Amino acid sequence: MKRVSILAAAVAAFVMAGSGVAYAQASAQQRTQQPERLEGKPNLNGVWQAMNTANWNLEPHSAGPNPVADRQVGAIGAIPAGLGVIEGGTIPYKTEALERLNAHKANLINHDPEAACYLPGIPRASYMPYPFQIVQGGNDDLLMVYEYANANRVIEMRDVEIPPIDTWMGTSYGRWDGDTLVVVTLSQGPGEVKLPAGVMEPNGVTWLDRAGNYLSPTATVTERFTKMGDNHIQYSATVEDPELYTRPWTISMPLYRRIEPNAQLLEFRCVPFSEMLLYGDLLEESAAPAAPAAEAAE
Amino acid sequence: MQKKKWTAAAIGAVLAVSTAGVAVAHHSFATEFDRNKPIRLEGKVVKFEWVNPHSWIHLDAQVNGRTQRWRVEGGAPSALLRRGWNRNSLPAGTEIIVDAFRARDGDTRASAAEIRFPNGRELSLGNPTTEAVAAAANRARN
Repeated sequence: MKRVSILAAAVAAFVMAGSGVAYAQASAQQRTQQPERLEGKPNLNGVWQAMNTANWNLEPHSAGPNPVADRQVGAIGAIPAGLGVIEGGTIPYKTEALERLNAHKANLINHDPEAACYLPGIPRASYMPYPFQIVQGGNDDLLMVYEYANANRVIEMRDVEIPPIDTWMGTSYGRWDGDTLVVVTLSQGPGEVKLPAGVMEPNGVTWLDRAGNYLSPTATVTERFTKMGDNHIQYSATVEDPELYTRPWTISMPLYRRIEPNAQLLEFRCVPFSEMLLYGDLLEESAAPAAPAAEAAE
Repeated sequence: MQKKKWTAAAIGAVLAVSTAGVAVAHHSFATEFDRNKPIRLEGKVVKFEWVNPHSWIHLDAQVNGRTQRWRVEGGAPSALLRRGWNRNSLPAGTEIIVDAFRARDGDTRASAAEIRFPNGRELSLGNPTTEAVAAAANRARN
């Protein structure tokens, strides 16, 4: 029954997205009509987006050139600076976790699941530079839909369990702590991961940003969504993983409502965009070096 | 080198199908597997892949006195989860017996409706099309 009402809400959203002008009017009207609370809980429905550089690096960082393509894309692909979103500044990695971190840093972008259009996991999905939508019914499970890679997750409003298997997005369990939505996500594990040039990574992990920061399948991610007025959510995520970190650590940031009248998720089905990165090495050797040069000349 | 590339291409093709074209492999029993080429595989599980659109059991089977690595196609992860499968259902090293249908291209791949354990217990692989083919084969035998 819960599933049905979520589906109905999703279908309604989809149908409304069908006609541009009608949707814009309906959407503006709907926003003014939207109740502040649903079944006594804050109404989180809407299209939301972070506005920071956390997806480049959760830690404080200076501006810098693109790690792999500064020659082709120059300042367009460069990294904007950021003050960081971690409470206390840095991620408390254990010494044994640094080897893998350094391996990631030696293969930025090339080994980043985002470049391959793999699912982003939690919390990264929340602060990628794409909007996401929260679909909330009454006293019901919630749906979060992300523009990036058509990712989505159901927040199951029930007690935390051990999920049956590891998945890229993990399994999310939610509860209300007063007016705050608290979501616990477990078992984020990509398993065997295809990397560029025919390399297979047998024990994939979830990347947290383009700087190679990561969590492992044993991590517990606890997110908190607190409405701060109509157009803001204060968002935080605490990552606990005794395998990797000396203590739990927390990121926090505001999420902003996309308030333009025609705010909606568009499609970013990125699998085709990652094909040359992942499989370009299978092209004829003579053709491979010519491709970047041709692109640069355009 | 050539071989490595073929392997990479094959893996690439599998991944591409698993991320992009979910519908393709759901309707492909007849195009990918041959109902007239049954095979019995007995051996130890190497790994179990929870991938869309179909899961895969990798096992080292004894075929004609030699050990061969075979891949057996099961149902979609969601179908298996509905049947109560989880991460502990088929650990590496488990002895299994599989009555499967071979791939048309002669590769060491096959599709099966269920697996059996040496103690006689059976476990459905949640593969409706293959189940129908297996049931038809059983009716033809009886």
